[in-house]
Amino acid sequence: MKIPLFIVVMLLFPVTIFAQEDEILLTGVVLDADSGMPVPSANVIEKGTSNGVLTNFDGEFTIEVPADATLVFSYIGYATTEIQVDGRTEIEVSLEPEAAALQEIVVVGYGSQRKSDLTGAVSVVDMESMGRQPSPQVTEQLQGQASGVTVTSSGQPGEPPQVRIRGINTFGDSSPLYVVDGVPTQDINYLNPNDIANMQVLKDAGSASIYGARAANGVIIITTKKGSGDLKVNYNGYYGSQMVPKGNVYDILSPQEHADLRWAAMENTNPGEPITDRQYGSGAQPTLPYYILPGGASQGEVDESSYFVDPFYTESGAVNGFNQIIRANQQGTNWFQEIFSDAPIMNHDISLSQGGEKGNFLFSLNYMDQDGTLKNTYFDRYTARVNSQFDISDNFRIGENLAYSLSEGNRVAVTGENPINHAYRSQPIIPVYDIAGNFAGTQAPSLGNSQNAVAILDRNQNNFSRTSRIFGNIFAELDFLENFTARTSFGGSYSNTNGQVFAYPTYENAENTTYNQLTENAFTGYNWTWSNTLQYQNNFNDLHDITVLVGTEAYHNQYEEVSALTQGFYSFDPDYVNLSTGSGTQTNSGFYTEDALFSVFGRVDYTFNERYLLGATLRRDATSRFTNPRHGWFPAASAGWRISEEAFMDEVHWIDELKVRGGYGVMGNQNNVDPANAFTTYGSNRVSSYYDINGSNNNIIEGFQRSRIGNPNASWEKNINANIGVDVNLFKSKLQISADYYRKDVVDLLYNPELTGTAGVSTVPYVNIAEMKNSGLDLSATAFFDFTSDLKMNTTLTLTTYENEIVNIADGVSYFDQEARRFNGSSIVRNAVGNSVGQFHGYNIIGFWNSQEEVDAANQEAQNVLNNPDAEYQSDIGVGRFRYEDINGDGVITSDDRTFLGNPNPEFSGGLNLEFTYKNWDFSTFLYGVYGNDIWNQVKWWHDFYSSFNGAKSNTALYDSWTPNNQNASAPIQETGGSFSTANVPNSYFVEDGSYLRVRNIQLGYSLPTNILDNVGLDRLRLYVQGANLFTITNYSGVDPELTGTATAFGIDEGAYPTPKQIIFGVNLTF
Amino acid sequence: MKKIVYTIVFLSLGVGIFHSCSEDFLDKPAYGALSDEVLADEKGIEALLIGAYAALDGQDVVNGGTVALGGGNGWEATPSNWIYGDITGGDAHKGSDGGDQPPINSIATFSADPSNGFFNTKWKALYEGVTRANAVLRLLNQAENISEQSKANIAGQARFLRGHYYFELKKMFNMVPWIDENSENTNVPNDTDIWPNIEEDFKFAYENLPSTQDDVGRANRWAAGAYLGKTYLYQDKFPLAKEIFTEVINSGVTSNGLSYGLVDNFNHNFNAEFENNEESVFAIQMVANDGTNTIGNSNQALMLAYPYNSPFRCCGFYQPTQDLVNSYRTDEANGLPYLDNYNNNPVKNDMGILSDEPFTPDTQSLDPRLDWTVGRRDIPYHDWGYHPGYDWVREQSSGGPYAPKKHIYWQYHADTYSDQSAWAPGNAINVNVIRFADVLLMAAEAEAKTGNLNTALDYVNLIRGRMADNSQHWLKDYFDPENPLDGFTQDYAANYNIERYPEGYFTSEEQAMEVIMYERRIELAMEGHRFFDLVRWGVAQEVLNNFIDYEGQITTDVRGGDFNSNDVYFPIPQRQIDLSTTADGPVLQQNPGY
Repeated sequence: MKIPLFIVVMLLFPVTIFAQEDEILLTGVVLDADSGMPVPSANVIEKGTSNGVLTNFDGEFTIEVPADATLVFSYIGYATTEIQVDGRTEIEVSLEPEAAALQEIVVVGYGSQRKSDLTGAVSVVDMESMGRQPSPQVTEQLQGQASGVTVTSSGQPGEPPQVRIRGINTFGDSSPLYVVDGVPTQDINYLNPNDIANMQVLKDAGSASIYGARAANGVIIITTKKGSGDLKVNYNGYYGSQMVPKGNVYDILSPQEHADLRWAAMENTNPGEPITDRQYGSGAQPTLPYYILPGGASQGEVDESSYFVDPFYTESGAVNGFNQIIRANQQGTNWFQEIFSDAPIMNHDISLSQGGEKGNFLFSLNYMDQDGTLKNTYFDRYTARVNSQFDISDNFRIGENLAYSLSEGNRVAVTGENPINHAYRSQPIIPVYDIAGNFAGTQAPSLGNSQNAVAILDRNQNNFSRTSRIFGNIFAELDFLENFTARTSFGGSYSNTNGQVFAYPTYENAENTTYNQLTENAFTGYNWTWSNTLQYQNNFNDLHDITVLVGTEAYHNQYEEVSALTQGFYSFDPDYVNLSTGSGTQTNSGFYTEDALFSVFGRVDYTFNERYLLGATLRRDATSRFTNPRHGWFPAASAGWRISEEAFMDEVHWIDELKVRGGYGVMGNQNNVDPANAFTTYGSNRVSSYYDINGSNNNIIEGFQRSRIGNPNASWEKNINANIGVDVNLFKSKLQISADYYRKDVVDLLYNPELTGTAGVSTVPYVNIAEMKNSGLDLSATAFFDFTSDLKMNTTLTLTTYENEIVNIADGVSYFDQEARRFNGSSIVRNAVGNSVGQFHGYNIIGFWNSQEEVDAANQEAQNVLNNPDAEYQSDIGVGRFRYEDINGDGVITSDDRTFLGNPNPEFSGGLNLEFTYKNWDFSTFLYGVYGNDIWNQVKWWHDFYSSFNGAKSNTALYDSWTPNNQNASAPIQETGGSFSTANVPNSYFVEDGSYLRVRNIQLGYSLPTNILDNVGLDRLRLYVQGANLFTITNYSGVDPELTGTATAFGIDEGAYPTPKQIIFGVNLTF
Repeated sequence: MKKIVYTIVFLSLGVGIFHSCSEDFLDKPAYGALSDEVLADEKGIEALLIGAYAALDGQDVVNGGTVALGGGNGWEATPSNWIYGDITGGDAHKGSDGGDQPPINSIATFSADPSNGFFNTKWKALYEGVTRANAVLRLLNQAENISEQSKANIAGQARFLRGHYYFELKKMFNMVPWIDENSENTNVPNDTDIWPNIEEDFKFAYENLPSTQDDVGRANRWAAGAYLGKTYLYQDKFPLAKEIFTEVINSGVTSNGLSYGLVDNFNHNFNAEFENNEESVFAIQMVANDGTNTIGNSNQALMLAYPYNSPFRCCGFYQPTQDLVNSYRTDEANGLPYLDNYNNNPVKNDMGILSDEPFTPDTQSLDPRLDWTVGRRDIPYHDWGYHPGYDWVREQSSGGPYAPKKHIYWQYHADTYSDQSAWAPGNAINVNVIRFADVLLMAAEAEAKTGNLNTALDYVNLIRGRMADNSQHWLKDYFDPENPLDGFTQDYAANYNIERYPEGYFTSEEQAMEVIMYERRIELAMEGHRFFDLVRWGVAQEVLNNFIDYEGQITTDVRGGDFNSNDVYFPIPQRQIDLSTTADGPVLQQNPGY
């Protein structure tokens, strides 16, 4: 990057001819004006010439110049400074740091630009601020750091966060494209965050459209570090603890209270009927049993010596011969605390780097180890990187960037049925272990059908998934004919993931699995990208700056899956268990796919007199996924006007930079189309298309079914994007503001509208049928304050808003529903035309039916309206149950009265970064907040309604449910059966405000003074202490308001893996 | 000089790139799949035909999870109609606990609305069957080099299967769209009665299929004949029905060449070890331990329907009703049932009695078929031991005290005929679509309706006679209740008593029909027929509302249920109406009353 920078710097200062008289040898040193530290590798150039040198590691330089020369000092991150030599032979220059200086070079698609020349919407991420968040994942660290980017992560280590740039652009995958050192990829979880030199987010068509068919979700460009200056060794390390909330996190009733609730529910359901219960006996009051298995037995009643359980049984029928004995936990088991506990996190990162005239290198090693707070979950990763460049001649360079990572983890599913789900469903009267130390559970009668979450996690402990991945590229660059640079880069990744899951037989549950099974799988991904560019750059008459770039790119991707399983293991010893030691049927399966892209692209950037900026890009992509047509064109144009450079602004000194810019163009998306989308195919499946035509009772014969209906005419999703932005730097760049307003119309949106059942059930093809629109405002502001020469502060605020609207889905289709969860037949989420993606839908509760008179009156009215003497106002209407709003005012509640109950899309999200330095101390804090989103709290379905399965219930259910004496309640009357008027249909009871403000990070650091360090031969030693996620301010009643989900259904909480608090100690060391 | 070399090498590389990426680079086939051209020969079409049979069970497994073909829970597409025929017909409760699978609650109380996902699941699975049969027929029209004989056999089987799928659709939803192998458009209105099309299919199958097949699972001429007769019967075309049933009864053989007959041991109809016997006219073939490590081909749709907390583990659904149990009461004196007042002398049950509390089962006279149909307290539950009552029931107050039995496998051969590779068991017991007893009872109706009361009585007495004459196959008590696998004594498990109706018992068509209807219920109970029979006979409203009144005194689940005249058909799934909607509005029209 040094050479292009050099060229740029030279172009900035038009050549003038000086009379050269006395040449003097000038030596000097370049220092940081704030810290007094030397600035290595700074450019020192004699103004108007090509005579220049770089400073060495100590900031020193020597240059031969005329005595009356003017020297220009520049370096990334500092204001360029001009100094008159005036015959001096020694000179000390202080460069003022300028965090977002105008000269900053920003990496854009297939090249780089000065920030001041940008016409597109590009967020430049502050790597230092981002790097403070302790996480193995770059994407998680990105949260709140760049305007226009929304990141949602889970508390589970290694769980890839959901990243969205400017909202939701598709019904499918909304993940952005990552370009690492010029190589496009969809996955950057392998990256060591410390290896990243800079990161840019391309948000609009003007900046991203050069990535054509893969640009629609935005592009994040990442450049990894390079060596520079003398040999340097850097070590960064931290160690810390992650903490979980204490106490009764789910607000669960104690065993006695639970029994009381049971009695109340039975009485409410069948008033006056005598109550008998297997556990709590009979009579007016429930009695807690001594044993829950045998159910309801009292002390002394059970011969404990008759206990028999073989926890590792291998015969499926053996479980019938068990005699398990479980004592009640009358104090109550806190299942949350049983599965969650504090866990360590640790990171070590070491790098060696050096750079010089003949090239540079960087070598780094990283070890990251994060245990999950949920028992037996973890993520650890080793990363090694070698980046090097060889300057073979002054116009020819070759180099490579290569990273190898090996990561291993064990994770639970974060949505759907998982151990967390079972933990909050399990009644507290169930102990974790039975009288012999084996697992206890719902084998004890009448206590529901949840599973022992500790048992699930314990049995999960030898399962893992291990990924090794090599990612990188080799490149060559050639400068020729003065203005041309040709570059070729070949890169890609090869990754392999192995995983295994062993399923133990269970004996403690109401519903046991009686087999044992080993499943192993291997996923192999291989892709390469070969890019070639040719760039022409020139300046004419000091007025016209022009850069033209043309290029080609070929991309090939293949992916293979192999999976096998077998059952019937003699022993479950992990050292014994493998795919060939099981005695059961061996089953295997495989999958293979391949796809490719070939693209031609070009870009023109033109600047007139440093004021008027024009940019245009065009890309033609051809893909293997589409057949008719195979090609697509993606044009974009953008323009900017640096008003501050105009003569009439000369007098306005407090404005350093004022630029308005705008862009318009088309970005594409092909992610959502299966490579086989064009084909109608037939295939076989052992379950759905094989049949025992011989009546053998154990042997199935191969048969075929149509597996896929093809659409040869599918084409790109087109994201038509308009962006208008303004960049302002005020008060000597002490205040920098960048704001963008955008509008995106996604047309030809690919959607696979369900076909009528009469068409059969094959995979439905994607067709270009839907339409969506997004608009929003991205804002970032940075301010620097020097309170005194010692006390400084800088602060950055980012703000992201987006508004999403579905404009069209398919002919005659005005919505599609998702997420039935426990509401068989009706769904929580309705994606409907005119609304945002992911909105919650159901009946709106406007109170309770407080008396039979109210019920009768409503029914009477409904009977009059419908002219039907049997009519009911609302199905399952009853005293103490919910009263739904009659949305359409027809006097009766029908499915037409469902309405939109909430929107999981936030009105805005933002990050605030504050940094203070005082002498050798530094303090920083980062706050992240989301406002205006709703959450569907499905956990309430399990806890607040006695009728929703027989499991743990909440204090709300017992103490804040409707009774004749408590009509101002939260939950409805507690009954043994669910109904339309309580918890059987989605309704507004489950919708909560999901806004939150979280202190993501507070860090206090101390750097040892230079004089002490010099004595021990160190360049830098900083120690810090840090707290992450210490406070969250929210009205949300669940465990954690930060919830991920799928592209079109999210913000649904059915047992989140909470983000832990972290306390961390760390060290940064350079020598 | 060096510079020039580099430049040349570099630029020629660059030029090469533009040429190297030809279109071949982007031509990627669909991997791991075949096109229909590849399948358009006899072998391929045969494989598609197997696929069309494979849709009979409506089941799939995706990522280890139980699903129906086309989505939804597997049980929602039940091929045995345990939900749509038996629970709705008053023969069974939903069972389990009140809050589990709530859509069945509304189906059972006839308050289901069109958005109830169960109907959509069943609809989709059946139309997938239709689609597969059509694929066979379409390719058969294109294929060459297949003998006329093979063509007739393949086409006959495909049309038999299509007839079956449409028959299911017709009896559930009444007005459904007809899609065949020539349909270009699959979004067509449901404005015509498809009985003639179903008749056509079975007629074609009857005329083209051979009497025996190489594989016992295939439909043959006589299965098609029996189904054709059933099609006539559902349309009240009694003379046509009588004609074809007569032929089937006189000449019919199974696909493996056995002349149709009733097996001596009634229970062998529900035992995998004895399946495809002379009574099996057409059955959906089930397997166990088929190498998939799933129960997707093993009666998956019944996985919920085993006693709870029992050796079967899950899930306590599909509990027979007291009303059904009472209908097995026989008169001590003559071994005949109490046709219209069977609930007056109910069979004793163990409601509210814990398993460790003493209980003495009913001692009065009972039809021996009861204990092959219903599991009840302290009666041998096959060879699994006495049914313990309360402990095996999830919630007596809503589901009653009983357990189903006809699809329950035996312990002695559980290793072979049950499949434990899921959270609930699978088994290899075939689903009888039509068994010969069914044919005889349908024939009896056709005879009664055409005035041949004596023939009708003969048929009914064949059914009763099989039980009366084979007392050695009535349920016996254990040698040792602690070790049920040791076998059975010669003592009956209960007081069984069954006799034929006396000669000349049928005196009028109406009285004959009353007897036939009753006999049909107790013979075919828990086999998915009841609701559809009640509707076809036009008595559903009366019978089912009486049932709700009676059973509602015992359990809570059916309380508040009300059958009105529109409930004779289930609603067209709302999802399908929505999907059929075009700019001109919905193509599918809802059934009346929904």
